[in-house]
Parts: sequence; C-alpha cells; structure tokens
Amino acid sequence: MQTNIIISGVGGQGVITAGYLIADTLSSKGQNVVMSEIHGLAQRGGSVTVELRIGDVYSPIIPQGKVDIVIGFEPIEAVRAAFRGHKDTYVLINSEKQVPVSLSMNAMEYPSDDFIFHKLQGFKHVVFLDASSMAIKAGNVRAVNTVMIGAAMASSVLPISLEDLETSLSKRFEGKLLDINKRALQSGIDYARNKLRENIGTLQYP
Amino acid sequence: MNLINQILTGKAGERLFLLGNEAISRGLLEAGVKVATTYPGTPSSEIGDVLSQIAKRAGMYFEFSVNEKVAIEMAFSGSVSGLRSFVFMKHVGLNVASDSFMSTVYSGAKAGFVIMSADDPSMFSSQNEQDNREYSKLAHVPMIEPSNPQEAKDFLKTAYEISEKFSIPVLFRTTTRVSHQRSTVELSGIPDTSGMKGMFVYDKGSYVDLPSNSYSLKERLVKKMREIEKFSNTLGINKLIENGANDVGIITSGEAYNTLMDSLNENNLRADVFKIGMTNPLPSSVLFNFLNSHERIIVVEELDDFLEESVRALAQENGLSKNINGKMDGYFPYSHEYNSDVVSLGLSKILGFDFKIPQPMVEISDLPKRLPVLCPGCPHRATFYAVKRAVKMAKLENVIYPSDIGCYSLGSYPPFEMADTMLAMGASVGVATGLAKTTDQRIISFIGDSTFFHSGIPAIIDAVRNKSVMTLIVLDNRTTAMTGQQPNPGVPIDGVGELSYEESIENIVRSLGVENVVTVDPYDLKSTLLAVSSALRYEGISVVIAKRECAILRDNRMRREKTWKTFEIDQDKCTKCMRCVTTFSCPAIYMDEGSVKINPTLCDGCGVCAEPYVCPYRAIKEVVPVAD
Repeated sequence: MQTNIIISGVGGQGVITAGYLIADTLSSKGQNVVMSEIHGLAQRGGSVTVELRIGDVYSPIIPQGKVDIVIGFEPIEAVRAAFRGHKDTYVLINSEKQVPVSLSMNAMEYPSDDFIFHKLQGFKHVVFLDASSMAIKAGNVRAVNTVMIGAAMASSVLPISLEDLETSLSKRFEGKLLDINKRALQSGIDYARNKLRENIGTLQYP
Repeated sequence: MNLINQILTGKAGERLFLLGNEAISRGLLEAGVKVATTYPGTPSSEIGDVLSQIAKRAGMYFEFSVNEKVAIEMAFSGSVSGLRSFVFMKHVGLNVASDSFMSTVYSGAKAGFVIMSADDPSMFSSQNEQDNREYSKLAHVPMIEPSNPQEAKDFLKTAYEISEKFSIPVLFRTTTRVSHQRSTVELSGIPDTSGMKGMFVYDKGSYVDLPSNSYSLKERLVKKMREIEKFSNTLGINKLIENGANDVGIITSGEAYNTLMDSLNENNLRADVFKIGMTNPLPSSVLFNFLNSHERIIVVEELDDFLEESVRALAQENGLSKNINGKMDGYFPYSHEYNSDVVSLGLSKILGFDFKIPQPMVEISDLPKRLPVLCPGCPHRATFYAVKRAVKMAKLENVIYPSDIGCYSLGSYPPFEMADTMLAMGASVGVATGLAKTTDQRIISFIGDSTFFHSGIPAIIDAVRNKSVMTLIVLDNRTTAMTGQQPNPGVPIDGVGELSYEESIENIVRSLGVENVVTVDPYDLKSTLLAVSSALRYEGISVVIAKRECAILRDNRMRREKTWKTFEIDQDKCTKCMRCVTTFSCPAIYMDEGSVKINPTLCDGCGVCAEPYVCPYRAIKEVVPVAD
C-alpha cells in the first residue's frame, strides 16, 4: 500500500511547510513517510515541488503515473504536477494565478481558464479553491497552505484524521493563530468535500 | 519547541521527522564531534544552518570558512589535535579542497576525521554531476554512503570509528535525495564531551608531507587500506537482504538502493540485494561469496560505473564466469539521478519482463515555463539593468560577460542574458583576464561578494599583474544568498552569530593594485549607470562594487521594522510601452487584460522600477496607505 502526493507551487507560498505538516502528522502516528523537496536555483518566484510518499516505499521520488493527490498552490504548477498522475488522482488547485516572468517578459498574459480546464479534463476529481480568500476569511492570508491541506483531506485517499492534523497544528501554532489555522483547515475540508460530492461535470473556478 | 532545538536536546529513543542534513547535524552531536567547518553549498547547506544555531550550546566549534580548502584544513587541525572533526561541502567544493584533502589522507587522522561530500545527480543546483565516489579511489580513503536520514545519522558513528581505528580520514558521501530527504529518525544519546580540549603533539613523520616523509606515508596508506578491506567484510553497514533468490543478486548503494527496492516491489520481483554501506574499499570476500552464489549479478548505481567496475574486476580476478549486468553493457544510464522507472526499465530488459512507463495524463510541453528568477527587490536586477543600459549608451559591441556562481548566475536568463561563460567558483575573473589578452573585445565580468572572498582575489592579482583591460562588477549583496543567506567575511557577524571583523571589498581591491574602484548603491540607478559608464571608458582594470543587501534580508528587516511599502501603476499615466515588463522583468510586474499591473503581495517596495530609467512616464508610484 502506498499513497503518493505532489505539492507544487511557487517559492514563497509555503509549499514546503504544507508538506512538512502532512508528513510530520503521519510520522508521529508511526507511518512510514518519505518526503523530498526540490526548489532549484531561485529563492523566490521559481517553481517548488514537494514529493511525499506514504506506506511501503523507499525512494522519495514518485514514479510516473503513481501520483494520487496533487496539491497545487497555483494553476500552471498544478497542471505541471498532474503530468505524473492517473485518472483517479485528486487534483486540488488554489485558483490564484502567479504570472511567470517568462510570460510578462514577452508581454504575454496568463493562459485562459479554458486552457487550464482542457488540460485537466482527463481527471475525475478536480477542485479549484479560492484558497487566499478562504484564508483571509479564516483570519490570515498566510493560512493558504492550511486551506489546501484541508482540501487534500477531503479526498478519500489521504490517511489522516482531522484530530491528528489539529494536533500537528497545535505543535506549530498557539492562541489566535491556532484558531485561524483550524478554521482554515475546516473550510478547506468543507469546500472540497462539497465540490467532490457534487461531482461536477464541467470545471469551474469558485 | 522548534525543530532545531529538538535536534540539540532530543533524548535517546525519541523520533523526529528530519531532513537528511538535519539528521547529519544530530549525528555529529551523537558522535561527539567538537569541530565542524564548511563553505555553504547545496545540497549540504542545511547542516551549517543547524550548526550555526546550536554549535555554541553543544560545545562545538563551528565556522563558515572562506572556502572549502580552508575548511578542510581547519577540520584536519581539529583531528590532529585530538578532537573529532567534520568538514562538509557540496561535491564541487571537494575539487576546491582537493589539494589539501589528498595530503590529509597521507598525514592521517588522530581523532576521527570525516569529510562529507554532498553530490548532486541531475544537477538541481550545480554546474556538473561529478561522481565523488571516484575521489575515494584517487585519495585512497574509505568511503561511506547512507541511503536515508536514519542511516545518514547512524553511519556517521561508524565513519568516526573507522577513522580512529585506522587513523585515516573517511569520506562520507550523500546525494541530493539523501541530504534533502525527510523521514522519521530515531535518536540515540549524546556523549558528554564538555571540557575536552585539543592538544597538538609533534609528529614530523606524519604531519609534514615532505617528499622524504610522503615516500613512506604512501606505503603506510596502502597498508591501511588493505587492513580496512579485511575489516569491511565484517562491517554491519554492508547489508545482505536475502529473499532466497539464488538466480538474481543485485549490488547497490546510496539512493540507488531506494529506487531499486521500489522497483522490485512495483514489479513483484524476487532478488537478493547486497546493499553496500562502505563502498570503498569493497568487502571482497563477502562480495565474492555473493557473486558466486547467484547465477546473474546486476549492479544498480547512479552516475559512474564505480561499483560495477570493481565487481567485474573481482569476478575476473577469481576466474568467475558470470552474467554481470549494469551500465557498462548499456542497461542503465550514466547520467542523472535514477527513479524506480529508470531502474525498472533496465531490469525489464535484463530479466525479460514487460515494463512500460505509463503515458502522462497531461501534455505539458505548451505550459508556460517558470524559469528561476531574481527575487522582487533583488539588487542584482538593478545592477544588470544599469550595466545593460551603460553598454547600450556607450554603443559597445561584442562585449563578453564572464560570470560566476551565485544568484547572479540567473543573469544568464532573459531579459539580461549577461553570462557568456560560467565555470566554477571565482572563475569569472580568470576567464576575463584571459579573454582580455586573447581578444580586442570589451570584457565585463561579474562576481558576488562571497565568491570574491572564496576564490576571486588571486585572479584579480593576476589581472592587475598582467595589465588586463576589463571591468569587474562585484555584486555585493551582503550575504551568501543562493545557499540560504549564510554570513560571509564581508559582514560583521560570524557563523555562530558573534560580532566579527568586517572585510571591506573596496579596501581589498585597492590593496591589490586596482586604482579605478568605486562603490555604488544599485537601487540608485543613475549613479550606478554613471559609475559603470565611467569604468567602461578606463583602459585598465576597473572595479564597480554594487553594494546593497539581499532582498530576502531586506524583506525580513522591513517586516521586523514594519516599514514595508509597495508600488502601483497609475493606469492613466501608463502608456503600455512595456519597458518595465520586457526589460526590467520583476516577478511582481505582470500583464493582465492588456494592462500592466503590480502584484501587491510580491512587490517589496524597492522602487527601482519607478525610476525614469525604467519608467520614463513616471507611471509607477508608491502606494499611499489607506487609513483604517
């Protein structure tokens, strides 16, 4: 048994922290979990990818076609990570766009929504979340990664209970920040669970 | 409690979820290491980031040395004065340290002496993917290779035991996926080493590598390695994983072991696996038994055919006629890191089973690329912009830009494309001097502050001595930025946070005999432009020091001081000339529905884009905070 997760985004978005929170939760429950982070040359603004593997695995590198959950902090980066998925992969996407410099430099704009939707049409479980607004609503824009973890927990394949993840959050945050993160987590779970239940035929932004 | 503290105070039996490099930091404490040195380099840097915070409390001497060669000399001193010592660096760092490294092996170790090389297969952040296992044969040192964070911590202890048992330095080799892998690590206890003090005892025969001494030291070294080879046959870190398969035996080590085990599981294959923890010298009698007891032998290893060559030699030596497969007969690649797909592909061809890499779910070749970029507010962007303008204004053609290793390496990408050569740390100046001698072209060379100290200085002396005509731009961002903001000799803080002497790049350059030197603030585009223009008119070596703190340091400071501001574009004034997006290319500036906009969460308020050299229409202005 194994579950493989890719978390992808842009440097500075809290991608590695999100991976660490999920992995540390599993690790403290005695599960075998290996994680690897690749952030390349850029300090900020480059793509960042975390690979996280749970269960009967050795290498932190996920084989082609074996990714079960994509947690995409940015639409283009989510599509890039979905490359290694399969048709039952859960693809959870923060809808906030970060325009790559390679586009601006050529006076080009971000790809259209249809372009992104078209790329993802082969997947059965795709959810777009306005995670930034949800984080702000929970109390702090920096809780985006907690919202996204919540969305991943709404999938049926992430073997973590709400209680366990809240325990991990309480190791990291206290007081008001802990409450904000708990709310952010719950809002991610609720939103993604509803969307997945609706089993929407057509993709849409929130 | 934060993780760094837990690394220091965690009790035996406690389990922490650690990065390989964090596990190594803990391993140093458990091994009672008293001296640790480094020059920052990915994928080894996080060890230094941990030690800089805990070394003082752990009673360990730690420093960021000026370069890897000095670092290894420091650690050697620790060892020969009786203190367990550790030096760590990225793979190419060992090239810099290699001169002293080779001699330390002749001199030997007194207290345990371990040299760590973090290799970077696939070159996530390096100029090459050299396989530093080869150094162990070149230098005649034992070498240990862990596969995961737990082993990285535990094998260190074995490394120190071997180093002391045989009075020899030990090479400890990781790769990116070991150093940057996180998994659960069970801690052991930390011995009490407080009060330990080094004492150097004169031993001319060992520590003075004069030819007359080295002549016999070499024989002593060969003898040591023979003894270590015998010892290695009993070593627990060489592990036989038996699955009762007498037909196929697979030999592997390091991260290749992980990908192999995944591949065996994925394909339901049964094979015996010999996982080698000490890959030099190889345990020849155990290895011979393994060869002898399997019909077919497969060697799975990343990069060079380091193990395979020895395995084939061992078979030949013993007159064994075996099917041995690996990369020498073309089943596995010599380039890039492996994953289980690469291993499965090779195994399927050797063993004759069906394996296909699944078709990707998405076509991504038409996705916009996200190239590595300079951060918003990066002072290097302003410097590159000013230099580019100065060259254009002076109507210079065929300018050559030798560049160097650091964040400013990204100047190679559009829109600046100002890196014509890039070899190794400090190489920009040597290449520039050479090009100045061999061509009539104008040379503008770039070097960062940390790289300047690391190995730029000797080349500047050479340029001055040989009357080179060139302009050197020193990009002084007050830190070693690319590896995660470690301090360097140009800042008044040392590796453990104490006040220290602040070297002045300007004074050093002047003292080397450079007469035309000026220091500018790159955020002041006009002054920078004028300084570069003037430097370009000089018929000799001219140096412009562009001095301004790294944007990440500045952001942290502004967050602390609550002085953060941002800029926005006045859409009424913006003519959509596109200069800011196409020639300045800050990640915060983007196009949206035909308009140019600034992303307020990315903008760090450096304000360089608002200068008329970038926006002649003065359409970019500071956001006036709205009162609550």
